[in-house]
Amino acid sequence: MRPGVMPHADPPPVAMRTNKMERARHRMAGPAARPARTGTSHVGVASVTSAHRMPTTDELNQWMRAVATSSDRLAFAALFRHFAPRLMSYLRRCGSPDAQAEELVQETMVILWRRAVTFDPAKAQLSTWLFTVARNVRISHLRRLAAGEAPAASADPCDQWDADLQAADQALGPHDQLLAAQRERGVRRALSVLPADQARVLQLSYFEEQSHARIAEELGIPLGTVKSRIRLAVAQLRRLLDGFDS
Amino acid sequence: MIIEHHPADEFLVRIAAGSLPGGESLLVSTHLEGCERCRDRLHLLQAVGGVLLDEIEPATMAPDAWVRTLARIDERESRFGGAALPLRAKASPSPPLALPGGMTWPSSLRDCKVSRWHWMGPGMHFARLSMPHDPAAALFLLRIAEGRHLPRHTHDGLELTQVLHGSFDDGRAVFGAGDFDAADADVHHQPVVTSGGECVCLAHVGGSLRFDGRIAATIGGWIGM
Repeated sequence: MRPGVMPHADPPPVAMRTNKMERARHRMAGPAARPARTGTSHVGVASVTSAHRMPTTDELNQWMRAVATSSDRLAFAALFRHFAPRLMSYLRRCGSPDAQAEELVQETMVILWRRAVTFDPAKAQLSTWLFTVARNVRISHLRRLAAGEAPAASADPCDQWDADLQAADQALGPHDQLLAAQRERGVRRALSVLPADQARVLQLSYFEEQSHARIAEELGIPLGTVKSRIRLAVAQLRRLLDGFDS
Repeated sequence: MIIEHHPADEFLVRIAAGSLPGGESLLVSTHLEGCERCRDRLHLLQAVGGVLLDEIEPATMAPDAWVRTLARIDERESRFGGAALPLRAKASPSPPLALPGGMTWPSSLRDCKVSRWHWMGPGMHFARLSMPHDPAAALFLLRIAEGRHLPRHTHDGLELTQVLHGSFDDGRAVFGAGDFDAADADVHHQPVVTSGGECVCLAHVGGSLRFDGRIAATIGGWIGM
């Protein structure tokens, strides 16, 4: 399925920078609401206003810090504008119907807001962190649906998303942490030079919520070939990353 | 502890992508808990997810998405307080059943319901595990005494095993604590617990095992394998 794509759609309205949610919502109620420059002391405000440029890693990290340290809603709006439409696209491709995808994007962004303080740019890129959050939000949601549970009313969903899914993610040794930042810079380069058939299988594995058997069917190749392409892709990524390091 | 047998990359890719079903994902998570090499690979594969997310073509959100997100934050803050939320402390789980001395209970099994040990033959016990969100997953703990062996069998589906304690030898290789094994229909094996004490394994059985002997098959059917 190809997501409906509107690259020039209006960016989401952006709240004025204020800690009072009510005031923020009132002011941005109008469709013409746009980010305002509220002062030069504010982190990254200028770049918030450039809607169609890809923010740099530094900008994303600064916005995240501003959310973490001062509940900065303008920075949050900038993060929302960058990530929400991408998360929406990701969740749709994973098979979520639109209404569910909207819900899950909102929930992911709420967790970004509430958990910003736990994000450590030395350990992971923000997009990686958010990818794992969205993935876990989605899994938790599907598990609750399967178990016939309503979304928990008594517990903060923020506590649930990582309770049983994060155990493996969290146990980062110092060795991992050192490597994480440089590794992730290399991943983009490595992915771009991966042979097309390997990249395709990898991408289908992440985004189409398909078993490897289904991927084999769709591409008209044996299951063993899907698996061997994945192995080749991972080996190739690792080799390329080692090459970039040296 | 030297880990020699790891999950194949396709398992790690599916964990990273979030598409591995409950039972299999529990086995791989248990492996990851003790294996730095695989955690390292997982982090690489999560970074791949991050890059793919960055590069995906943005989709259009509903016009009220932003307002509804703010409302959600409001609602959450009024119920649970301000933004800075500490991660829930993970109490190290106490084992729900008797274990061989020196064996630690994996955190990944924290939320599983675990039965008591059931006898299934001389020196052999099993317990059933059930995951709250995937109760149908065929998960077992096996506790086998030194020198004992499971009946020879092959598999309809995929049998995943994570060794938690001790070691066994099934003729293909020796699997020790921390090792992971995936055995499919091509594997016809008879695991024997090697010297050095009892062996405890976590197993997930996709499909069913096919035991060679009729008595073994009867017992296997009886315990749900």
